[in-house]
Amino acid sequence: MPASPELPVSVRARTPVFGAFLEGWRRVLKAPVLAVSMLAATFLLALPLGLVMERSIDAHLGRSLEADAAARGWNAGWAAEFGSQARGFERTFTYDILGFGGTLAIVSDLIDNIALDPALSIAAAASIALWVALSGGLLDRFARGRPVRTAQFFSACGVYAVRFARLALVVGAAYYALFRWLHPFLFERVYRHVIRDMTSEREAAMLRIGLYIVFLLALALVGVLADVARVRAVVEDRRSMLGALGASWRFIRRRPFRIAGLLLLNGLAWLVILRLWLAVAPGATASAGWAFAITELYLFVRVCAKLAFMASEVVFFQGDLAHAQYTAAPEIIWPDAPAAEAIRNLSRRARRES
Amino acid sequence: MRRTLLVVAAALMSAVSLPRAQAEAKRAASPNNASYRLTASLDPGSHTITGSGRLTWRNISRNPTSELRFHLYWNAWRDPGSSWLREQRLGRNAALANRPADDRGSIDVTTIQIGGVNLAERSRFIAPDDGNDQDKTVLSVPLDHPVAPDQTIEIDLAWTSRVPRTYARTGRIGDYYFVGQWFPKIGVLEDSGWNCHQFHAATEFFSDFGTYDVTLNVPAGWVVGATGRAIEETADRSGRRVRFLQSDVHDFAWTTSPSFLRREERFAEPGLPPVNMILLLQPEHADQADRHFAATRAALKYYGTWFGFYGYDQITVVDPVTIVDAAAQGESTGGMEYPTLFTAGTRWRVAAAGTQPESVTVHEAGHQFWYGMVATNEFEHAWMDEGFNTYSTARTMDAAFPGKFVAVDRFFGGLLPWAFTDVRWSREIDGNRLNAYRPVAGNDRQSTPTWQYWPGSASAITYNKTALWLATLERMVGWPMMQQILSTHFARGAFRHPSPEEFFALANEISGRDLTWFFDAVHRSAATFDYGVTDVLSTPRGGTIDHQVIVRRFGDGVFPVATRVTFADGSGADLTWDGRDPWHSFTLSKSSAIARVQVDPDRVLLLDVNYTNNSWSAAPMRTQAARKWALRWLTWLQELLLTHACFA
Repeated sequence: MPASPELPVSVRARTPVFGAFLEGWRRVLKAPVLAVSMLAATFLLALPLGLVMERSIDAHLGRSLEADAAARGWNAGWAAEFGSQARGFERTFTYDILGFGGTLAIVSDLIDNIALDPALSIAAAASIALWVALSGGLLDRFARGRPVRTAQFFSACGVYAVRFARLALVVGAAYYALFRWLHPFLFERVYRHVIRDMTSEREAAMLRIGLYIVFLLALALVGVLADVARVRAVVEDRRSMLGALGASWRFIRRRPFRIAGLLLLNGLAWLVILRLWLAVAPGATASAGWAFAITELYLFVRVCAKLAFMASEVVFFQGDLAHAQYTAAPEIIWPDAPAAEAIRNLSRRARRES
Repeated sequence: MRRTLLVVAAALMSAVSLPRAQAEAKRAASPNNASYRLTASLDPGSHTITGSGRLTWRNISRNPTSELRFHLYWNAWRDPGSSWLREQRLGRNAALANRPADDRGSIDVTTIQIGGVNLAERSRFIAPDDGNDQDKTVLSVPLDHPVAPDQTIEIDLAWTSRVPRTYARTGRIGDYYFVGQWFPKIGVLEDSGWNCHQFHAATEFFSDFGTYDVTLNVPAGWVVGATGRAIEETADRSGRRVRFLQSDVHDFAWTTSPSFLRREERFAEPGLPPVNMILLLQPEHADQADRHFAATRAALKYYGTWFGFYGYDQITVVDPVTIVDAAAQGESTGGMEYPTLFTAGTRWRVAAAGTQPESVTVHEAGHQFWYGMVATNEFEHAWMDEGFNTYSTARTMDAAFPGKFVAVDRFFGGLLPWAFTDVRWSREIDGNRLNAYRPVAGNDRQSTPTWQYWPGSASAITYNKTALWLATLERMVGWPMMQQILSTHFARGAFRHPSPEEFFALANEISGRDLTWFFDAVHRSAATFDYGVTDVLSTPRGGTIDHQVIVRRFGDGVFPVATRVTFADGSGADLTWDGRDPWHSFTLSKSSAIARVQVDPDRVLLLDVNYTNNSWSAAPMRTQAARKWALRWLTWLQELLLTHACFA
């Protein structure tokens, strides 16, 4: 299709990285229901295991006076006894869940490739599946930049769920390869070979940090490839996910530094959130209600950050490729691709400005 | 005569005050019957040590011997068939057992000469413990002439050793060498014969006291630390030569590295003899020197005050290379004791509120007392030094650093320490290591010779169980009595090899109680202790209520326990139960309802593996606690799910 002839060159949208980042957050904050819903979905996924945990703790405490101390704070003696009798995922009930240490434990285990308990693995897989299933609706909403009705949202989810499931197979295989082969290569072969006669822990630490960066970059590359593929699939109504991946690769290859900048900004946002969490994470003596409320607030911000990342990628892509001057303006008939709507919006803006 | 005097003096100890016990310990001197004058040279290029010298050995048993037996510990890593490596595999430590050949170590004795006759060629390896013909850790040397009781002989030795990549806390990593159990070491001849065990995975060492006069040759510029005091030192471009001398010790270890920072401070405490403290520190741990000194001071002070004086004028603390990946680098050399010298162990980054490096430093410094001076047989009764010392370490940590420590976990491959400030360190649970003991409580009778323990749980039975039952004994008899028992044990055992039976008899004697039942339960059986409240039944009758409190013994271990019943009106009743029957019912009549019941309310029996079931409450807070912690765990799980959703 030829570029829209009526638009002047001055409105060629090439969104700055920071602008895309801010616009991503703006679109997420304009749609708080999405973040709340995703948080609620995560809560519901965790709830069955949480109920089992509650029953186990209750049964173990019985009528014991140890419950008094446990209700007030961390009763280390009782917790250790509970842990010694716990089965399966109940063994994860240790002081490692407390406060910011709990966050560190999760991230550390993930990056150190430490296997999850099977029940938690199933829950994590369900969580990933949920996000995959809803990504179409989320991206569609962010691409349109305006409220959509529930039916519209789930319709978009339905349209893209199968496509994204196909994409997830490819991306999942890539992640599997990274954890199955790259991680052991880096942290068992390379790391162990280099530190074998190293007498300085500091030097070993620097090496390990370097290897973490390499591994994270590999994860980020796969992640951003998949993200942009999803964005292109939604914005451009692509059906072939291999085609979307190819288009994603071309898009990233042509603007690697700006993509890296977008990733970095979102990474910094995540670090800022963690820093705030470090300041407010509840201790063992916090009341159940307060601890729950403050943790849910933190998780809400985390969900917002994840959505803002998605939204900023959408904005970035729209600004670079899916704008009115680059794409022909089609007739808009719902449910049409959000690209059409975005182009119409830009056309209107261009007309106003001219 | 000296021994008689010691025994008489020791017998008096039970009735005398601690200062006199300390004075006696100070006066005690060892038999000094296995003295070495050695010279050794390290060649870092080939990782070899070439040694030679003379052993002066006196038969202090009542019987003549027609053979000598030597430990050649480093042959445990000569080939995969050694008993040590086999036992490591049994303990599922395959990474350690299957290390490449280049990592292994060995010792080859070329000369064992007595009266000009080299007996090396007629010597042979024996395996007195397991008959393993591939084990070469014990060498038997037949003699031309038996050595009579009290006779002294001189044996010239020469050997070559290959220094292994670190095994069993000895060896090399890069240019750091820690050299322990490195020379042909004569076994202990007892009245019943040679006590010279093979090297086993679960055990350490046992040897006689003597004077060690050792000259070490290392490359120029390398720092050396060793057992004893450096009395001569020369250095030129070809290398450095340092001579160390120490009497009344039963081993000699040394370390060298070009990187060590050397610090020196003095321990001075009123009523205790001064001690020169030398710290050989890794450069990246320079900011932790004070913590090492403080912990060493704490051990010298509290052990010295409670049990008896430190018997030497110097102590050397070695900060070993930190192992960040044992599969790659080898085992840590940290946390190991030798006479007048020990290895501590810390990390580049440590939490201020964590027990590292204090805990390991106090423990290993404490071994100067329980091992160094009271030199029990670690092959057969490792609990006597490790267990006593774990108990003493916990007590010292509690006294020296009250309220300082919390739980610390390390994340990101151990790089990042994180202090959980809500999880306080406690002497009862953390110090005595209850949590690691609980899952293996019934694995082995502690009275089993240590080298025969199941390798997977030997540590918990040796260290943890002893610490727990000593702390239990302390709660039974009270600290003043416990201190008297231990200080007398120290006084009688210093510079000797006291046996378990001696300690048990001494405890009976000092306490004035027959504690045999206790030692039967905690030491001579693998019984598990678990008492609890099963049920509380109340039946109103007229103006009163008939209460029936049922308590149970869930484990096979028997211990008399108190039961405390507290009524709703605030009154209470303390009841006793000998704990023998599987269950017991107490019947009480009272106008008030029962508010709570506690079995062993003062937690005397620290070996109880499940204390949660020891109490009963009429208004338990189980629901609040369960909801609180389930909710907390649930939000943690939410975060985990959200984090893993990054792959969506």
